[in-house]
Amino acid sequence: MNVSQMAIRSLDAFARMSIGRAFASGIGIVAGGFLILLVLVAIFAPWIAPFDYAAQNLLNANASPGWPHLLGTDEFGRDVLSRVIFGARTSLSVSATAIAISMAAGMTLGAAAGYFGGVFERAVMTVVDLTWSFPDILIALIFVAIIGPGLTSTTFAIAIAYLAQFTRLTRAQIVRLKRETFIEATINLGAKPSHILLRHLMPNAIAPVIVVGMLAIGDGIVLEATLGFFGLGAQPPTPSWGAMMSSGTAQLFLSPWVIIFPGVAVAVTVIAVNLFGDELIRALDIRDRLRGA
Amino acid sequence: MPNLLEVRDLSKRFSSGGGPFRKARSMHAVNGVSFDLPEGRVIGVVGESGCGKSTLARLILRLIEPSSGAVAFDGDDLLAKTPAQMRKLRARMQMVFQDPYSAIDPRYTLTRAVAEPFEVQGVKPARPMAEEVAELLEMVGLNPGLASSYPHQISGGQKQRVGIARALALRPSLLVLDEPTASLDVSVQAQIIGLLEDLRTELGLTYLFISHDLSLVKYFCDEILVMYLGRVVEALPDTAAPARHPYTRTLMESTFEPDPKKRRLIAPLEGEVPSPFDLPPGCAFADRCPQASALCRTETPALSSETGHAVACHHPL
Repeated sequence: MNVSQMAIRSLDAFARMSIGRAFASGIGIVAGGFLILLVLVAIFAPWIAPFDYAAQNLLNANASPGWPHLLGTDEFGRDVLSRVIFGARTSLSVSATAIAISMAAGMTLGAAAGYFGGVFERAVMTVVDLTWSFPDILIALIFVAIIGPGLTSTTFAIAIAYLAQFTRLTRAQIVRLKRETFIEATINLGAKPSHILLRHLMPNAIAPVIVVGMLAIGDGIVLEATLGFFGLGAQPPTPSWGAMMSSGTAQLFLSPWVIIFPGVAVAVTVIAVNLFGDELIRALDIRDRLRGA
Repeated sequence: MPNLLEVRDLSKRFSSGGGPFRKARSMHAVNGVSFDLPEGRVIGVVGESGCGKSTLARLILRLIEPSSGAVAFDGDDLLAKTPAQMRKLRARMQMVFQDPYSAIDPRYTLTRAVAEPFEVQGVKPARPMAEEVAELLEMVGLNPGLASSYPHQISGGQKQRVGIARALALRPSLLVLDEPTASLDVSVQAQIIGLLEDLRTELGLTYLFISHDLSLVKYFCDEILVMYLGRVVEALPDTAAPARHPYTRTLMESTFEPDPKKRRLIAPLEGEVPSPFDLPPGCAFADRCPQASALCRTETPALSSETGHAVACHHPL
């Protein structure tokens, strides 16, 4: 077997996996392809970016898009394209880390609440619902007050903002699954609670949680940009799409490209995440399981 | 034969908690049930839906904790067992469930489902696991070639066979069958019943067979317990015994006659089953009973067995 045959085989195997099936439609390929490209850009930013994102050149401030600054320069003469590329790194890593933390915590809390029920469930859900009643910005402000502005605060704020969603979704799945006959049948075989929870309940509950997590990464990018816009997120000179737009507002009419390109980056990324998420929901066939959570 | 299972005065009361705006309510799903199941015999439990037969099965296997009463399995008091002892003991008392469609984890292949009993009990079969699984599938009449299938790829009858294979994997002595054929096609029902009969003689099993189908129970079982609203109203010592309780007679009369020329009059029961939440005083069947007297409405008849044929009725037939 040569390399190309192997490549075709593995692509074929991927396409047959449920997640691979999300790439079956045109929308799936375009949106998924864009996201893969974006992740690659974020990873290889230092090699792709044409300039140092922090290098200032006040003599060339607010230069309009052209050569060599394809997307122009900002008020300090920094290359906008390089900053958008490095901004992808900030946005994606902050959002993905936050959602990963949120998912891990939410799944643990939700599974425990759904499985054990009773007073424990009520206590967990009350606390979790409380976090939902605070505006995201307020949660971010609390973290900024405690640990100071920066990406750590932003990450925790995003994680807490989505905690309730993951907890509720997981709990709903577990409560529904717990009533299935195969759970009772497995208990009757003499299975321990850990076996029931880890081998039956969680594997059956995880698909909708992953999809919601995928969609939440898109929302997380917007929230990160929002917090960055208010100066609560990435601190200069770290580039972040939100912070770039914020600093661009001062020269909105003089050099609109400083605000337009990061804005376009946020918009296109979020649209791609949502389109791909919809394809995932279709591919995993879980539309009705996402209701009621 | 010694008794494999002894059930004494088993009761379960479910209560819904009261709150500021509603009263706490409780219902007696199972009320003072006692019987002995000797090794190797088949006892059938019949009754309408909601009479507590499935709850009784779960109480006996301690899948639900009883409110009062005692269950002895092979002379061992089940209710005194710790959760760990109970898990170990479950290998010897298994159950086949009513709904085969959700009785197997949809993410498990048949191999994994049938091997799971060994995994959870920490038992290593004498042969390699693949052989053991193939053997079990063959034992319940399934093609071992199906081993790598998922539950959604096989039929309801095949799923029920997988359920039986899982239950038998650890060679239990007691098998509780909770309406094992109720959700299957009639032709498939006959196959499953035939399989259960064969397995019983082959493996020397003891069955507790729960069903709402009296003719099936009469065909399949040695003794029959008739339940009405959580109580055993009659214990037929054999399937030929005539009904002594008016409720049993109505049940027997309402089964279909295979010969369509033999027309007979079926007297349908009047009235509704009373709500188990507020049982009337006296016999629960009194309101629907043609025989009922004033005594029936004030005093609950006890199950008495002077003749070896126990009945709970003030005016037995």
